[in-house]
Amino acid sequence: MMPFFADLVMRTDEARREFETNSVVLDAVANGMSLERYRALLLELYHVVWHFNPVCAAAASRIPDSQRQIRYFLYEHMHEESGHEEWVVNDLEAVGVARAGTDAHAPSVHTLALNGYNYWAADRRDPCSVLGMLYALEVIASVYGGPFSNAIRESLLLEGDRGVSFISSHATMDAEHMASLRKILNTLGDGPTRDAIAESTLVNFHHVTRIFEAI
Amino acid sequence: MSARRPLSGIEQIVGRPYKYLRLEWTDELAMLRVRTCVKPIQCYSLAGLTEMQRVLDDVAENPGLVRHLVLSSDVAGVFNFGGDLALFVLLARARDLDSLRMYGRRCIDMVWWLENAAQRGVHTIVLVQGDTLGGGLESVLPFHKVIFERSAQAGFPEVLFNLFPGMGAWPLTIRKAGFSIANDMVLSGRLFTAEQLQRRSLVDLVVEDGEGELAIDALVRTVDPRLRGTLAALHARHLAAPITYESLLAVVDLWAETALTLTTRDLRLMERLARAQVRKVGGEDEGAVEEIKRIELDTAWSDLRGNTQWDEEHGTGVTVWTGLPGG
Repeated sequence: MMPFFADLVMRTDEARREFETNSVVLDAVANGMSLERYRALLLELYHVVWHFNPVCAAAASRIPDSQRQIRYFLYEHMHEESGHEEWVVNDLEAVGVARAGTDAHAPSVHTLALNGYNYWAADRRDPCSVLGMLYALEVIASVYGGPFSNAIRESLLLEGDRGVSFISSHATMDAEHMASLRKILNTLGDGPTRDAIAESTLVNFHHVTRIFEAI
Repeated sequence: MSARRPLSGIEQIVGRPYKYLRLEWTDELAMLRVRTCVKPIQCYSLAGLTEMQRVLDDVAENPGLVRHLVLSSDVAGVFNFGGDLALFVLLARARDLDSLRMYGRRCIDMVWWLENAAQRGVHTIVLVQGDTLGGGLESVLPFHKVIFERSAQAGFPEVLFNLFPGMGAWPLTIRKAGFSIANDMVLSGRLFTAEQLQRRSLVDLVVEDGEGELAIDALVRTVDPRLRGTLAALHARHLAAPITYESLLAVVDLWAETALTLTTRDLRLMERLARAQVRKVGGEDEGAVEEIKRIELDTAWSDLRGNTQWDEEHGTGVTVWTGLPGG
């Protein structure tokens, strides 16, 4: 049987390519964004990051003892990601959005759909589907985060990591996370769980693409 | 003769719903045109490879139906950027040897099919009308006839980011152009014009821009009356200078292992190239080819700056470099 990570790459590669080749994403990776659109993206991103750990916690609480390695993986991941929403807040402040503005921002329907699906999937579909969310978000960060943060830096004339600290640092961190995610995914042999993770990956790529499109 | 032709066969081949390929059938010449359009970034994505292999399998399952297989690109200015760089970055970062091998094996399965096309009774032609990099050039080399339009450029840039072309570049280039040229092309990472490639025997015919389609038609009509003899000769060529599937496989495995040793700097260069590809498809004049030239220049500069012997060996050169802005 093909290791699950390889299987997941195969099954979801079209969705990754659809994200990568979306005209808005293409333009953002190649040329950066206007200040207004970058602010809008970070405001949406804030809500994704803020709900990341609660989704993981919801999933971890439902994962059966037979898959305890997934639960421990999520514990470690949540520990590492804890407080990262503050990085987004700092980046927003660096590009002129005060904390009050971030707090007052209502997420778009696409962000609500992304977070809503992830909670629902952890609760009703299969708790391991959270790994599909991790896979999609880490692929986006580790593969596209570096070029995107460089493009933003150039287009907005930002210095160092100021204003791009969240995306830039996750481009590096998630590269390490990808290797550990591959190992944990390869421990899964169960068919329905694999299907749930693949579905979650597709849905997450879809919604993130819509978030980019809408800003 | 056409009455005996299994019509369901060609209907099966051209009737499939492809997302990244456009197929055309010319009954008179039994010619199957395959135009690739992996938009917006024309590369060998997993899905694109799957569709291409489906076409080749269909042709193999209908022996005698297709006499001429012609490949070209539907994307203006680009034949193929080669491997899916974003996928490579993903797999290298995930340290996923299994998937890298799987990707490489899919590529060489296509190369192997083309290498054996004459035995299947199929004469193959490729028309290159734009940039062709890395795996894109590797995929061109197994075709029986390689036509380039004059402005097309090609090369194996992989060495610039510490990798090498692992899907047939070595054996196919050595067989066509010789060891020395293969060495130069693979190890330098340089890009070559259509004329330079023709002088190196890797391209059979260079035509003016916009005249590629006419060249295909003329070539097919020249070959078709003597197809059996041509295919037998090409089969004999394969026997005289064989390339084995096992050797292609061994190189792919080495390629996959090497990809896992890529450093952050190497992956950043790959990302830089991927970003340049995106700029090109976004309508800008400068794309991956120009970025490769810049990477070559950057590498040359850093080599010169990092080489402590260089001052002594090249004396006055230091003055030249330091006299330039930023030097």
